[in-house]
Amino acid sequence: MIVIGECIHIVSKQVKTAIENKDKRFIQELALRQAEKGANYLDLNIGPQRRGGPEVMTWMVDTVQEVTDTSLSLDTTNREAMEAGLARCKVRPLVNSTDATPERLAAMMPLAAKYNANIIALTLAGSGLPSSADARVQLALEAIVPAALENGVNMADIFLDPLVLTINGNQDQVQPTIEAMRFFKLMSDPPPLTTCGLSNISSGAPPHLRPLLHRVFLPMMRGAGLDSAICDPLDDELMAVRRILETRDASTAKGRLYLSIYDSYAAGQTADISSVDTSDPELRDIVKTIEVLENKWIYAHSYLQT
Amino acid sequence: MPPVETPVEKWAGKIHEVNLGGDARRLVVGGETTLPFLHFEGAIPHPPAVAVEVQDRPPASWAPELRASWGEAMEDPASWAKKAVEYGADLIVLYLSSAHPDDQNTGPQEAKKTVTRVLSTVDAPLIILGPGIAEKDNEVLVAAAEAAAGRRVALGFCEQKNYRTIIAACMANNHVAVAKTPVEINLAKQLNILICDMGLAPDSILMDPTTGALGYGLEYTYSVMERLRLAGLQGDKMAAMPMFCTVGEEAWRQKEARATEGIPAAWGDIATRALRWEELTAMTLLLAGADVVVLRHPQVVQRIKATIQKLMTKE
Repeated sequence: MIVIGECIHIVSKQVKTAIENKDKRFIQELALRQAEKGANYLDLNIGPQRRGGPEVMTWMVDTVQEVTDTSLSLDTTNREAMEAGLARCKVRPLVNSTDATPERLAAMMPLAAKYNANIIALTLAGSGLPSSADARVQLALEAIVPAALENGVNMADIFLDPLVLTINGNQDQVQPTIEAMRFFKLMSDPPPLTTCGLSNISSGAPPHLRPLLHRVFLPMMRGAGLDSAICDPLDDELMAVRRILETRDASTAKGRLYLSIYDSYAAGQTADISSVDTSDPELRDIVKTIEVLENKWIYAHSYLQT
Repeated sequence: MPPVETPVEKWAGKIHEVNLGGDARRLVVGGETTLPFLHFEGAIPHPPAVAVEVQDRPPASWAPELRASWGEAMEDPASWAKKAVEYGADLIVLYLSSAHPDDQNTGPQEAKKTVTRVLSTVDAPLIILGPGIAEKDNEVLVAAAEAAAGRRVALGFCEQKNYRTIIAACMANNHVAVAKTPVEINLAKQLNILICDMGLAPDSILMDPTTGALGYGLEYTYSVMERLRLAGLQGDKMAAMPMFCTVGEEAWRQKEARATEGIPAAWGDIATRALRWEELTAMTLLLAGADVVVLRHPQVVQRIKATIQKLMTKE
């Protein structure tokens, strides 16, 4: 799985301060730590940066490239900043992101073509959050694919992102999101790549629950066709699940459970939890989380207790 | 036509049975092992209860139809409650409205007096609600809880931001809590968990998912209640609390229940329309799984009671 390391993000107070103070060392260390943990891309989220966007992005790209040749994912809605950053990248970069609105597609798709970059395209239009798998696929087919063709961007260079919503309040949206992933992979030949903001699923959940939700959601999405995730490479347990799925490591009960989730979703089914030994508290928590993600058990911040 | 076999669902769970009232008159709500009125599928041991809303001072803002229907009884909460029982109320919801700082800002002493008077006048079980300001709710509900010791009343509203004091008062006096959440299923379950974490038993909680009246979010309330009920029947004990709906308050707040001028002639007579608004809101939520509906108009009380009776008759 292609990991897009999410840690260099303007929402982090430390990152924001480092950008303001032009603190190269902080950014470089965060870049190196993520690369060492196996990130394939380093996301550089500088926010909209209405003033001085190009300068900030150029500084970020140069700063990170001084210490690593890991590919960069440039994450801003500011078109000028995006272009300035793309022009500096030494390794094929990733445009993060466009959505399915004509304005954003017109701004970002030509840049992906001009700089031979990959691009993330969210199946989201101005008319509110997508409500079904079909609505997401429709946006991809009717807005994103034509814009790619028009600009000469190959479908195989596009990462389609179904837009993961928070489980708290959108529990019935989890399965349609997974379903959209399946359809994306059938859309074209060669198929598009797929990605998602894995951490979105747990936004607003208590901090101790968030990594568990990510770990269980990942094999579901992977089974359905997820090629890549914007996630936290510094989360060792999450990276362990990535490794378990890739090496098919069935040496532990936990590993077997993650593999069985993956296999069920790859076969177009939901997880089979009938034979899991739930006297093991760790497995029990994973099973509870499967049930919550499959909308069979109502999510509450204390769902592990019930 | 060939015979169609009725599909029968087997549910693993049961809605908690909540006991209310004292020795003279007990009332149990909940206990279902099936969806509303599906007698062929499971047990519905207790009919949904009809509560009548009584306020501790005459509500000046109520619609003329409502005020006319209760007349002088509204001057005194005990007489009002007595009349409500005569109209068929299974229980009384007593709103301590006067305790609101913008109203008369009455305190615990007045609350105690009112509760004692109502309890000594009617045997029907009581649900006591504070004015909706956290600090005042805690003050008057703790006093009410003490005054009602031995009569197992319900106290509300417990909300995510303010439940601890009310729950402690419930536990100290063997009362029931009414847990209210803003049309939000995840929060509804979470609040039940938090309350049980404090030590109150799951069979001492009624949950209020927040009522949206007909035309004003009724469908949202309906879906949340339906989902909670399905979860409860599927075995989620933290979603299996009987549900409580403040129908009258919400229905009579709406334009359709109040407007007499500047509206299309097709809307018809105000009295007919207003009563139907309350009745249809109540009926819809009973079909979504409401175990207690709180009503305002005596005629609507009689209509809903009659409909429930019909729906509870097994073929």
